Amino acid sequence: MKDNNIPLKKKSQFKDIVKRFLKDKVAVLSLIFIVFLVFCALFPNVVAPYEYDKYDMAHAFSPVSFEHFFGTDNYGRDIFSRVVYGARISLGIGLVAVISSCFVGIILGAIAGYYSDRIDNIIMRLMDIMLAIPSILLMMAIVTALGNSTLNLTIAIAVSNVPGYARIVRASVMTEKGKEYIEAAKSVGSSDFKIIMRHILPNCMAPIIVQATMSIATSILSIAALSFVGLGITPPTPEWGSMLNDAQSFMRDHYHVVLFPGLMIMLTVFAFNLLGDGLRDALDPKLKN
Amino acid sequence: MSKMLEVSNLKKYFKTPSGMLHAVDDVSFDIEKGQTLGVVGESGCGKSTLGRTIMRLHAPTSGRVIFDGKESGSFKESAAEIKEHHKNMQMIFQDPYSSLNPRMSVSEIIAEPLINYHMYKNKEELWRQVYELMDTVGLARRLANAYPHELDGGRRQRIGVARALAVNPKFIVCDEPVSALDVSIQAQILNLMQDLQQQRSLTYMFITHNMSVVKHISDEIIVMYLGTVVECASSDDIFKDRLHPYTKALLDAIPVAEINNNRKERTLLKGEISSPINPKPGCRFAVRCPYAEEKCYNFTPELREVLPHHRVTCHYAEKINHLSVNHRED
Repeated sequence: MKDNNIPLKKKSQFKDIVKRFLKDKVAVLSLIFIVFLVFCALFPNVVAPYEYDKYDMAHAFSPVSFEHFFGTDNYGRDIFSRVVYGARISLGIGLVAVISSCFVGIILGAIAGYYSDRIDNIIMRLMDIMLAIPSILLMMAIVTALGNSTLNLTIAIAVSNVPGYARIVRASVMTEKGKEYIEAAKSVGSSDFKIIMRHILPNCMAPIIVQATMSIATSILSIAALSFVGLGITPPTPEWGSMLNDAQSFMRDHYHVVLFPGLMIMLTVFAFNLLGDGLRDALDPKLKN
Repeated sequence: MSKMLEVSNLKKYFKTPSGMLHAVDDVSFDIEKGQTLGVVGESGCGKSTLGRTIMRLHAPTSGRVIFDGKESGSFKESAAEIKEHHKNMQMIFQDPYSSLNPRMSVSEIIAEPLINYHMYKNKEELWRQVYELMDTVGLARRLANAYPHELDGGRRQRIGVARALAVNPKFIVCDEPVSALDVSIQAQILNLMQDLQQQRSLTYMFITHNMSVVKHISDEIIVMYLGTVVECASSDDIFKDRLHPYTKALLDAIPVAEINNNRKERTLLKGEISSPINPKPGCRFAVRCPYAEEKCYNFTPELREVLPHHRVTCHYAEKINHLSVNHRED
């Protein structure tokens, strides 16, 4: 009866996931970078050496130096400080928009994919209509209708992202739905809700995570695009995308005005992609070793 | 002995773009308590659909199913009623790879029915029950936190058996539970299932295309062809006197390990199974039947008793068998 000594306890799945995630060095590094960005977004005054709107025309276009890590822009504002403050808007809006659109998209996609027929048709035709409108136009329409504010900007970006999620989730739900373990779950008395939450969605994580990390990138760029047409963030509030836009006309003579905001967008997107990959693998028990 | 399951005129049609697919067409049979009914037939003959329809994973098109004295009449039960139904009737699935959720550990899979039917008082009791089920099906307790992909086919199928046993059902539909396994492991699982049947007085409906398995495990056998029952008798009777031409061909196809293979007569089938979509009236088997006559193409035969407790769906069962008896003698 040696076997009886095995403790009546379940090994925590969460611990397993963390352990698997920590093995992925690149993903951990990305997480550290993102945590640093979040810190910048929450406490920019701690990290940034200057105020983001401190004009200093005498030192316009200063090159990279110890005084100004990333140089200064056409008004002599410190680009490093502006990038740090910009994290608040770019990362904040990006993350909130992606998380909320992901949430709504998963619900719609799961319902459409699981119940099929009428409900599926109604939801997906609605999504098709939204996809048919160019996303920039849709976002502009929403912001114009709701009024120009950070919250409305987030809503606009979130709404325009929903159809993408709904489609991806629906497709993977439909593949998973046909598998035998769903029938098995039905025959042991699991409710539809439990089947979707416990059986189908965990097995659809991979494409959802990939889509989420990709849409963080497009969201940051959408903010820039909306700012460009005057519907996003109003100057002098710094935001990476609009910093890029503002610097466009000077980039022939002063590389640093576009390099650093651009680099930040790129690194952030890259970090989220790698984090997403790491997360996807960590959540999959099949890739244990 | 009383009946566990009585099925009469059960039909399950599927709507397809090219017409109605008659997956299960007018099937009637019953199973005594504590016995095993073997359902045999080639791929696509509707045996799995029959099992799933009885399990109510598919809603039947029409017919009557009386399970343990209770009739499920309208087939429009609510989800809660179907859940109640599954308390007494469970299913073991064919593919031990796809019938287990890859993201759930062994203990989570076995605990799921217990949780769904609130069959425990506290966490500790739940775990004790999971361990007891694992012991019952011969799974080592150390595997409780393993994931299905870490285990071989036989162990996976044991998980499937444990999951089906969790709610203490009276009746289990076994949908080709061993066809995806190695031969050595097939025997283990079959023996396990037979032991469980004796210990828990279970009734099985055993769906398979493997004739030696069905001979080993069943009391009664029904042979299906294209959604219909062609022959229905006790296991011994079917292997002794096969009355329907299709059953003859099916049983003759069992390979025999014999050096001096002096089996004189073998019925071999030509052609392919015809389409189950909008089938024509007449005997479904007529196009492949070596004995088919005019009548077979025009009138659908009924399942009728030709010998005591031996029912066949064939117009000419007596004639054919008279013929083949003569043939064997010379």
